[in-house]
Amino acid sequence: MLSADFVIATAIGYVGLLFVLAYFGDRRARTNQRSWLHSPAVYTLSISVYCTSWTFYGAVGNAARSGLEFLTIYMGPTLVFVGWWFLLRRLVRISHNQRITSLADLLSSRFGKSNRLAVLVTILAVIGIAPYIALQLKAVTSSIQAIAGSSEFGQGSLRGIDDVTLALGVAAGMALFTILFGTRHVDAKEQHHGVVAAIAFEAVVKLTALLAVGIFVVFIGGGLDGIFAKAAAAGITIDPENSFDDRWVTTMFLSVAAIVCLPRQFQVTVVENSDESHLRVAAWAFPAYMLLMSIFILPIAMYGLTTMPAGANPDMFALTLPLAAGQDSLALFAFIGGFSSATSMIILESIALSIMVSNHIVMPLALRLGAGQGSDGRGVKSLLLRARRFSILLILSLGFFYFFFTRDSDALAPIGLISFTAIAQFFPAVLAALFWREASQKGAIAAISVGSVVWFWCSFLPSFESFSPAVSATMRDGPWGISWLRPEAMFGMDGLDPLSHAAFWSLSLNVLTLVTVSLLTNQSALERIQASVFVDVFRRPTAAGNFVRGSATANDLYFVAERVLGETRAVTLFETAAQGSGVEPDRLDPSPDFIGKLERELAGSIGAASAHVMLSKVVSGRDVSLEEVMQMADETQQVIEYSQELERTSSELRTTALKLEEANAQLRQLDSQKDEFLSQVSHEVRTPMTSIRSFSEILLQPEALDEGQRQRFVATIHQESLRLTRLLDEILDLSALERGERSWTNAPTDAEAALDRALLVCDALLSQRGMTVERGRRAKPVMVNGDSDRLCQVFINLISNAVKYNDASNPIMQISSVVRSGRYLVDIADNGPGVAKAERKLIFEKFARGERGSEQSGAGLGLAISRQIIAGMNGSLELVPGQLAGACFRVKLAVIR
Amino acid sequence: MLDRGKLQSAMLALTVASSALFFPPLVYVFDRPVNRFGVPQIILYLFGAWLLMIVLTALLTRKLPPEPMSEADEGEG
Repeated sequence: MLSADFVIATAIGYVGLLFVLAYFGDRRARTNQRSWLHSPAVYTLSISVYCTSWTFYGAVGNAARSGLEFLTIYMGPTLVFVGWWFLLRRLVRISHNQRITSLADLLSSRFGKSNRLAVLVTILAVIGIAPYIALQLKAVTSSIQAIAGSSEFGQGSLRGIDDVTLALGVAAGMALFTILFGTRHVDAKEQHHGVVAAIAFEAVVKLTALLAVGIFVVFIGGGLDGIFAKAAAAGITIDPENSFDDRWVTTMFLSVAAIVCLPRQFQVTVVENSDESHLRVAAWAFPAYMLLMSIFILPIAMYGLTTMPAGANPDMFALTLPLAAGQDSLALFAFIGGFSSATSMIILESIALSIMVSNHIVMPLALRLGAGQGSDGRGVKSLLLRARRFSILLILSLGFFYFFFTRDSDALAPIGLISFTAIAQFFPAVLAALFWREASQKGAIAAISVGSVVWFWCSFLPSFESFSPAVSATMRDGPWGISWLRPEAMFGMDGLDPLSHAAFWSLSLNVLTLVTVSLLTNQSALERIQASVFVDVFRRPTAAGNFVRGSATANDLYFVAERVLGETRAVTLFETAAQGSGVEPDRLDPSPDFIGKLERELAGSIGAASAHVMLSKVVSGRDVSLEEVMQMADETQQVIEYSQELERTSSELRTTALKLEEANAQLRQLDSQKDEFLSQVSHEVRTPMTSIRSFSEILLQPEALDEGQRQRFVATIHQESLRLTRLLDEILDLSALERGERSWTNAPTDAEAALDRALLVCDALLSQRGMTVERGRRAKPVMVNGDSDRLCQVFINLISNAVKYNDASNPIMQISSVVRSGRYLVDIADNGPGVAKAERKLIFEKFARGERGSEQSGAGLGLAISRQIIAGMNGSLELVPGQLAGACFRVKLAVIR
Repeated sequence: MLDRGKLQSAMLALTVASSALFFPPLVYVFDRPVNRFGVPQIILYLFGAWLLMIVLTALLTRKLPPEPMSEADEGEG
């Protein structure tokens, strides 16, 4: 025979087994991503946490009391899963993209990341779930008492313990286990693989337990027809009232909302989903699981009603029928099945709610108060864990208190429906979040607030009727005697089923508020972007650069454009486009063409790939938040600035390198010319030296020479010595000039006189070459600061160059001088070959000579010396374009007065 | 062979039709005090419709092309 002590020990052992499963499942899932824990089967089984002790015990009771109504609780979710392609797929995709961790997170994220909304959702969920937790406590307590009361010694150590104390013990045990299970660590994605593994195991246990009881009942009841025939004979109909009334429709709708919005269902279906494709299996497998769970409910209820004594609790038929038949092991199995369904619900519901409480209430408060701001993340993490443990205690306490205050009310199923009605208040907002772009944050907050107030009044409050006389008075007469505010007959709507009444008023006012407030208020930029992200989650650009018309408004695009292009360019772009379509810039409807144009503009600034990614994100509304766009724009801006900086530096470097290269080439050219000059100098020095040496040798043999020859040879030696001296003088002169050792003192000098003297000196040379001298305009006598002899030397050098390098058959030289704006200019031009372009820079360098220089006599120091001399007089010597074909040198000196 | 668009429409049709099957007035058609195979007809109808829905969903879902995973999941450890 079973005793309470034994089943309690079994239950504790069973939870221990679950804990081991969760522990190893967690380890396995962490180390092996391809583990069976990530299979569609485990996913589907975890979703079946929907079937709680409400299903295990309550459905039988419900079937015994109200016939077919219990089916609606499973048919609603079936409809949602059959239509998974339209709702669940969206939810899962969005939640993956947006890293959603709970229903509160989902609504908050969609409606502009509003924390107020998250807090509202969390509070309503915690209060609304309390009856549901109480239902599990009640079921477990009742099942233990059912076993304890079944035999003489069944009570064991429970003797003298009432149901409230037992429920408190169960609640405490559940809280302990949930804390051990669910708050061992904090996961960024809020996935609990170990817990899910344990839940999947429990799903198998409860299904096989209920099937076992069902098959046993059908067997001892003489088959299905036997059971239904006996029931009919006993006057029990499966449909005591008409099932398909307002209540049928209401519960069906509430269960549709519940499978989406119940925190634990959202947790397992959406948050714990590790692969979207698992949804494809769950789409048919979960309805199939529910079908199996409910297939024997009616036979068990019918058989229970026909065989059990009057007054037996139909909620406990699944347990008491085997007990009555003396099948203790089957009864124990049934108990474990029911216990399984209660524990999995409590564990997951508490985890899901504690995530909401800690993330949306405790953390924002803690951050505002400055707690948990350690230098590492450990402070926050331990704060989160503590907050979760506290939340789990709070949630189970609320459940216990609800049980305590309403323990005299009747069956399990109505308690659960109170929770369903509360949770259904989120459903309109969730649907709007996914499908209605214009739904606004204020609309959602107002709608959920209104809905929850009506729910509290019409559904939650009446459940305390048996506990508080004040409540029952209010229900009878209305608050302060206002009869049209009676919780179960609002606005005089009397005679409606209380559940349908509460659901009708709360949900219709909820939807009405949502629509009205959304239409009357405006969305913030963040809300609009998030709305696009949610509504257009499956919309993608068809091809690169070719956007489908997404949901992005001109403002969204402008926001991005301004960030990247700067205000001026963005404004210009948008105004042009607006003028083109003849509307105000802020009412511009972004056409694909315009978006393409914008993309190209952006591409100019940030590169095509980034521009496309950025615009696809905004236009097709994939995973992007306003912060992300801003961050992306800022990052891109930084990268642009950095690369522009690099570009600038490298172009500077390139210029410098180019200059260096040029200088280097010049150096090499000069170097080679210097070598050439040195060999030239050596050659020129060597020539007179050779002749001097050879003439000296001849003179050393006096017998062979007459006086005339001797005289000539000595004269030649003298001449050659003079040439040598002149050459050396020139070199010395130049180096002296170069070192800045002026060998003269500047004094006012008549420059015209110096020019005339030079012409006179060169007269012989000119006439010897047969050169025509064209005398152009001449300045009047002009005084410059300089040295007459040196100036004359420069002129002679220039004139002799003009003679030397002129190979024209009819050589012409043109000399003119002029005073222009305080400057004395002398141009000496010729009709020779001129100076090659490449040499123009070089001819003034020392040692440099023109290409033809080597053919001529002279060391090539002339121009360099001349330039130094003129520079010494604070003037300049330049090669300028002249009137004749050849070179034209210009001497420029400042005139003094 | 159905293309993707038609498959999606078929999914929608199935969802809508399923809802119609579970709600009045269609349920009234089968809500008669008649037993078939020893079981009330309405029970057979509801469970039968339910099973049909599950089978059709499985068949249609199998035919629907797989979708690329969302971007956010790539590169997750």
